[in-house]
Amino acid sequence: MASSLEQATAARPVSGEPAMNAADAARGVPSRSRLRASRWPARLDLLQSLSGLLLALFLIAHMFFVSSILVSQQAFYTIARFFEGAAFLAEPRPWIVSCVVGVVMALFMLHAWLALRKFPASFRQYRIFIEHKEQLRHSDTGLWWVQLWTGFALFFLASVHLFGMLTQPELIGPYESADRIWTGNMWPIYLLLLFAVEIHGGIGLYRLALKWGWLQGADPLAGRRRLRIARTCFSLFFLGLGLVTLLAYVQLGIAHADRAGERYVPHKAASRLAGHERPGGLEFALSRRPGE
Amino acid sequence: MSDLRTLTLRVLRSSPGEGQSPHWEDFRVEEAEGMTLFIALNEVRETLAPSLQFDFVCRAGICGSCGMLIDGRPGLACRALTRDLGPVITLAPLPVFELIGDLSVNTGKWMRGTAERLQTWIHAQTEPDLTALEAPMEPALAEAIYELDRCIECGCCVAGCGTLRMREDFVGAVGLNKIARFRLDPRDTRTDEDFYELIGDDSGVFGCMSLLGCHDVCPKGLPLQTQIAFLRRKMASTGL
Amino acid sequence: MRIVYTDVLVVGGGLAGLRAAVGARRRGHDVIILSLVPPKRSHSAAAQGGMQASLGNTARGEGDNEDVHFEDTVRGSDWGCDQQVARLFTHTAPQAVRELAAWGVPWNRVAAGEREVVMDGRRVSLSERPEAHGLIAARDFGGTKKWRTCYVSDGTGHAMLYAVSDRTVAEGIPVHERMEAIALIHDGTRCHGAVVRNLVSGELSAYVARATCIATGGFGRIYRVSSNAVINEGMGAAIALETGAAMLGNMEAVQFHPTTIFPAGILVTEGCRGDGGLLRDAAGHRFMPDYEPEKKELASRDVVSRRMEEHIRAGKGVKTRFGDHLWLDITLLGAAHIDGRLREVKEICQHFLGIDPSRDLIPVRPAQHYSMGGIRTDARGQARGLRGLFACGEAACWDLHGFNRLGGNSVAETVVAGMIVGESMADFVESVNGDLQVSTSLVREFLDAEQARLDALLQGNGRENAGELMRRMQDIMTDKVGIFRSGELLSAAVEELQALLVRSRQIGISTRRPGANPELVTAYRVQKMLKLALCVAWGALQRTESRGAHYREDFPRRDDAQWLKRTLATWSDAFQTLPTLSYEDLDVASMELPPGWRGYGARDAIEHPLTAGRVSEIAAIRQAFGHADRFTVQQALMSYEHLVPECFRGRNARLGEAS
Repeated sequence: MASSLEQATAARPVSGEPAMNAADAARGVPSRSRLRASRWPARLDLLQSLSGLLLALFLIAHMFFVSSILVSQQAFYTIARFFEGAAFLAEPRPWIVSCVVGVVMALFMLHAWLALRKFPASFRQYRIFIEHKEQLRHSDTGLWWVQLWTGFALFFLASVHLFGMLTQPELIGPYESADRIWTGNMWPIYLLLLFAVEIHGGIGLYRLALKWGWLQGADPLAGRRRLRIARTCFSLFFLGLGLVTLLAYVQLGIAHADRAGERYVPHKAASRLAGHERPGGLEFALSRRPGE
Repeated sequence: MSDLRTLTLRVLRSSPGEGQSPHWEDFRVEEAEGMTLFIALNEVRETLAPSLQFDFVCRAGICGSCGMLIDGRPGLACRALTRDLGPVITLAPLPVFELIGDLSVNTGKWMRGTAERLQTWIHAQTEPDLTALEAPMEPALAEAIYELDRCIECGCCVAGCGTLRMREDFVGAVGLNKIARFRLDPRDTRTDEDFYELIGDDSGVFGCMSLLGCHDVCPKGLPLQTQIAFLRRKMASTGL
Repeated sequence: MRIVYTDVLVVGGGLAGLRAAVGARRRGHDVIILSLVPPKRSHSAAAQGGMQASLGNTARGEGDNEDVHFEDTVRGSDWGCDQQVARLFTHTAPQAVRELAAWGVPWNRVAAGEREVVMDGRRVSLSERPEAHGLIAARDFGGTKKWRTCYVSDGTGHAMLYAVSDRTVAEGIPVHERMEAIALIHDGTRCHGAVVRNLVSGELSAYVARATCIATGGFGRIYRVSSNAVINEGMGAAIALETGAAMLGNMEAVQFHPTTIFPAGILVTEGCRGDGGLLRDAAGHRFMPDYEPEKKELASRDVVSRRMEEHIRAGKGVKTRFGDHLWLDITLLGAAHIDGRLREVKEICQHFLGIDPSRDLIPVRPAQHYSMGGIRTDARGQARGLRGLFACGEAACWDLHGFNRLGGNSVAETVVAGMIVGESMADFVESVNGDLQVSTSLVREFLDAEQARLDALLQGNGRENAGELMRRMQDIMTDKVGIFRSGELLSAAVEELQALLVRSRQIGISTRRPGANPELVTAYRVQKMLKLALCVAWGALQRTESRGAHYREDFPRRDDAQWLKRTLATWSDAFQTLPTLSYEDLDVASMELPPGWRGYGARDAIEHPLTAGRVSEIAAIRQAFGHADRFTVQQALMSYEHLVPECFRGRNARLGEAS
């Protein structure tokens, strides 16, 4: 009997599924005798997107919070205390921040675990993708590679940061943060983290929109162009904001270096400023330190 | 008319049947007016390399036989005008597909496999009565189906897909587009549950990483980006 | 010795072959399809404009039925077709469209209400019936009285091929791709299958089958300028010819399509003119009404092509360094229409010409397009001279098209003939005749002979270059056996082709590898193609009349008295250099539509002595039946229903017509 390439094709079982006679299927509806496919791939796919989206939203909010240092030290201090529940509780509770950080960390780990499925699983796949990317010279394919590496970097950079916040939630404050950044030599990590996270987040949001067909508009090609612009604006804006913020902490850290370790106390800081009144009311409540 | 150049076709040659490993070979061709790669490659075969293998059938951009990597990018060689390309044109066979030799790959086998895997035919409950009036269909719907039916299975989307290149069991845009096409067709009685069985996993629609190489290299301009996104939404909600 | 056994072997994976395979498979027989290329790459995909079937759904198609379609087809063929086959075809075509609809072809549909169309250069408003809303629409095509061409934008062949090909997958029919039948195995009276070469490995194997069907399409590539795909080299017809038993019919009947883009020869659909496009000359003048006041641009293809060449000869063409051409103007259809209904045309213009057809004129000139001739079969697709051999589609001379095929009738023929031949082969396989009595020694003989032929090419010391012979043949055919033919040119062509045929026995090749070897393929194919070319040229030289696409400047009149007959070519001795021709008379006395004027083109035919008698006979029958329904009258004029396979016998339903 002849055995050509083509015969091999013809003899190939139908996608490895058991007992699905093509001729039977042609006549009627597909056979239901097979095991129902797992629903988990759908759920995991949704979870990957959802966790990414939530992290990106957190990232946006987080960036606005930390950049409040640009408004004033007091503003940042106030916000930090707010997250310790100062507005609702008798006194701020840093463990609340730990809880929030815990949730973010869980999301982060979930997202990383889900995204890891998409990473090249072997050196062969890794090499093939590089070859493909270089042949094709295609922007969205290249962006994925960027996303892959920034994501990879985030495994470490974000973990360090998250771990710090988880274990020392009370050390979030103008001086405390500035000291950590400068005197604690964290600024190189924060600088890298900033780039990795803003680029990864920007591309991630962009890809999320493409993946689920959001904002595609009447002309998807134009929609994609708009999304690209939005992505660039997003990354640039937050990178810019992040750099300026980081610079502010660095400056503050340098200025505060000789008193490193000193905690920020609002009325002290405030009293040093001539003509400033002691805060009262809500602001006072928010400004209280734990156990003060 | 533009100046005609001497072109160098840099072809990745191989002959797996004879155990010959791939190597680049250069051929010089005098450019002619309105020259396509179809014309240039045939000239090479007639005058320089009679053993050179490549596949052309319709030479009009309709049949999808002549997909290859043109300067690294998947495209139809028959309608690639040399005037749109540089003086040195690299040509390589489409990846993923089984290599037959030189620029010829076995897309047919791959596509048949996809057709069997995804059961890309109308699944109807009854045999049609051929003498009766046909069932009516909204004109706009018929056109929408044709929009997706225009795929020529050239394999460019397969070669342009980073996901598929890494994971060869991924169904690819060609397969997903077909599912979208049959899903749209009211003559096919399959439900989303049925389609989920076919593409509801990581080698199906959830494996797509939205790199959109498929969309950007498709010679027919099929709306792959929106169709895959659409299917993803449908399959995700089916899977919830 | 590798032997594959099957009930039915289908050679060719285009629409005709695939549909025939599905038919036989559904009757429970094992079928294998051989194809040079993946079936979806077949040239059927290039059919753009549409498929004729008398559904009569559109306003301009109202009142259409099998009778009108039949008459258009016979007139189109210039009375060269087999009228019973034309009946069988027009009866089955609506079923084919409806079957394809059920299989998923997204036919364009009628939208009720007013719409604007372009007709004869003017915008007019048409009103579609509300009850037709959503039914299959149709466009106008050349040589038809009604709008009958069902279409899917201008990718009709593509959509049909994909639906039918997917159906073969659904039926689990294996397609052995990149496999070429290079000889038929036969004992002089019965075909037993084919010797098949694997184009990848070069290996030969024998496919032994109870029924063998050739559906390899046309042989346009014997011409230099052709709209055909590069695989349309007529190998199916050639291997049938080489049996010496089967015969080829009407090989001189070669169609030239009026509008292929110049100079590449790529087709732009007749739908362009059907939808209102016009032909213009260098001065921008619309010249067709000058020649053909009745049908203008929409006369049949043979007529339009001839008029275009005539106009170019009169110096009215656009001159370029590649030669002269004319313009196809579809700018008046508007961008929206072109984007929706003529998008392949638009893509082709963009990619190959760099123009936008909604703004620019398309340079066109006629080019070889279709082979009306082919393996002569009876109405059920059984080849003459060799039992167990069937043929359908363009490869066959079923004789639906006579000397000129109407646009839209060939894609229709592929599926309709496939439907009929599929049943026919199943009947054959189920009958005593279908029993296989073949000795493996006969099979070995054929395998060995073919292997020896290939070895002679691979290892011989021939000096002739196959590519050069191919080019020379194509030049001769295009230059001397084209639209305008004459004794002088044809004699020269025959002589030169014979010389080439002799030279082709001395081909030598430089690539000696037995596997994938394009040079070897060209070598053995050109040997066969030269035989086909000789059948065309020699048949054309003998036929001293003009009929349909066969136009002799030295014999410009259609001569029914002498030439109302079909040419049959055989090639019994491998060493002869000309085919043996014989002729088969067409019986005027049994025609439903006796010869007359086509309604366009020349009016000066030489009448057959029996025509007048048959005309009055028909008048008498019509009178005798008075008010009887059209089916009864038709039955009395020329019975054909016995030819229709049982499963396709019902009457076709239409809007406003009881089924």
